[in-house]
Amino acid sequence: MLRGAVLAAALAAAVAFPSAAQDAAKGAALAEERGCGSCHGARGIAEQPPMPSLAGQPAEFIALQMILFRERLRDAPPMPDMAQGLDDAQVEDLAAHFAALPPGPPPDRGEADAAKAREGEALAARMNCGVCHLPTFAGRAQIPRVAGQREDYLAHALAQYRDGTRRGSDTNMNAVMYGVTDAQITALAHYLAQR
Amino acid sequence: MFRLSATIGLAAALALPPLALAQQAPPAPPAWQQGRPDSMAASPLAPHAPKMTMTPADRLPVDALKVPEGFKVELWAHGAPGIRTLAEGPNGTIFGGSRTIGRVYAITEEGGQRKVRTLAQQLNQPNGLAVRDGNLYVVAINRVLRYDGIEGKLDNPGQPADLTAAFNLPTEEHHGWKHIGFSPDGRLTMNIGVPCNVCEFDRDRFAMIVSFRPDGSDRRVEARGVRNSVGFDWHPTTRELWATNHGRDWAGNETPPDTLLRIRRSGEDYGFPFCVGTWNDPAVPQRQCSEFAQPAAALGGHIAPIGTRFYTGTMFPEQYRNQLFIARRGSWNRETLSGYDVVVARIGADGNVTGIEPFLTGFRDDANNGFRGRPVDVFQRRDGSLLVSDEQNGAIYRISRQ
Repeated sequence: MLRGAVLAAALAAAVAFPSAAQDAAKGAALAEERGCGSCHGARGIAEQPPMPSLAGQPAEFIALQMILFRERLRDAPPMPDMAQGLDDAQVEDLAAHFAALPPGPPPDRGEADAAKAREGEALAARMNCGVCHLPTFAGRAQIPRVAGQREDYLAHALAQYRDGTRRGSDTNMNAVMYGVTDAQITALAHYLAQR
Repeated sequence: MFRLSATIGLAAALALPPLALAQQAPPAPPAWQQGRPDSMAASPLAPHAPKMTMTPADRLPVDALKVPEGFKVELWAHGAPGIRTLAEGPNGTIFGGSRTIGRVYAITEEGGQRKVRTLAQQLNQPNGLAVRDGNLYVVAINRVLRYDGIEGKLDNPGQPADLTAAFNLPTEEHHGWKHIGFSPDGRLTMNIGVPCNVCEFDRDRFAMIVSFRPDGSDRRVEARGVRNSVGFDWHPTTRELWATNHGRDWAGNETPPDTLLRIRRSGEDYGFPFCVGTWNDPAVPQRQCSEFAQPAAALGGHIAPIGTRFYTGTMFPEQYRNQLFIARRGSWNRETLSGYDVVVARIGADGNVTGIEPFLTGFRDDANNGFRGRPVDVFQRRDGSLLVSDEQNGAIYRISRQ
């Protein structure tokens, strides 16, 4: 844990370019107005499958995904339509809002299956997930927090990367997921959701 | 997409030392991680995040930028997130390509101000831009589009002519983004990068610079064994093709260097994946590096040279005429950041490189091992001034004589 935190701090220092002034309060008002909470939870922790939790995600990750939706480069209905008309400042405000919310597991998270979690942990280690997502899986910059994410969403997203129906700001996740079986995805999603 | 992933995955699986093999095929690491030794498995180095939102003018690093005595650098345009490649139309419109954000921009000057339009969007990394006879060519990943008479319809460009089938380019995404340019004899020239960090691949399909007639016919190999070149230009008098080339990652802070290639004859082989200059890559089967053409200069490890253009104007002093400006977007795969600047490759009367000197600096923040911007293209306008695009901030700076 400590090592992860030190790493995160070092990485945060690496990017010195100026960022726009984000306003989490404005973002909160906008999220209310657009009804983000009806799927993603009132405090950014999604309570229904297969919606992703956004609380505590890195602001850069949220801003990047919102731009991909707005530009219709990522297809995940209804998000591309919901993102129309947002200007860049609003995107950054929304990102600041969700990044500032405390992360946590969804209320309907079940008990851990020890064998499945162990299999997922071994896979995550072999696939070096923690190198980019950090050893705590808290994410950084454009790379999302996956610790405590909804298990159904994680399984859905990992399958999309494997099947080439989704890509991020680049194609790295597609390459990572090449050839990963459904059973392995199930184990990975379980392990990460229980973190 | 699936075919793409399969190709990359197989290539990686063949090239890598076996991972812990379970009953099933091991997952391939992402392309940028391939070739990474076990000793660096926990390295925190990873590509920097792009920024795709607008950076306000008061947050641009203009005041930090430095140019040699007698020059000045100023903000020319901003509000074009992710802008990279620059091209100019006959009436002076500056076109801008991009990668992640999928847009092509058109920037015009009106009453001393610059107006930024989004000309096209939803394209897959439209980094290849060139203008010929008033027509704008846009090359995205596996798409070749031509907007005829573009400057007459900037507000309503309509549907472009789609030349994709005629060019029949590989569909692989990694290193599939293009730099394009028209050669002095009118051939549309582009890179076909290798779809991995380092691997064995079909050397007749990838790691090349190729040229075509503008309709996509008559493909010719200009250079082989070029891992990925996203910047090239033709020498104004010798007409030789000069190209920058990105070296592979995870072989050390300085190894291998990114390089500058002087391609004297069509078809010369620069050695990837086996050699860069005299460096024999230990990750692939060994070959004699003397089999391959040698680079004209080393530009530094991982500095990511992109915009590569000869200066032919008269605004700058005579000593810059026919010299090569190179934008170095800056490193991620080395412990201390390097690059993040524009340099000039000095070329002597015999055509040899005599030195590489700094020209535009200040993007790098050495005190924090960070950066304030990422210069991607250099482009000389007809008045002899030099434009530099900053992808991270969505801005263009103009360098002129004071």
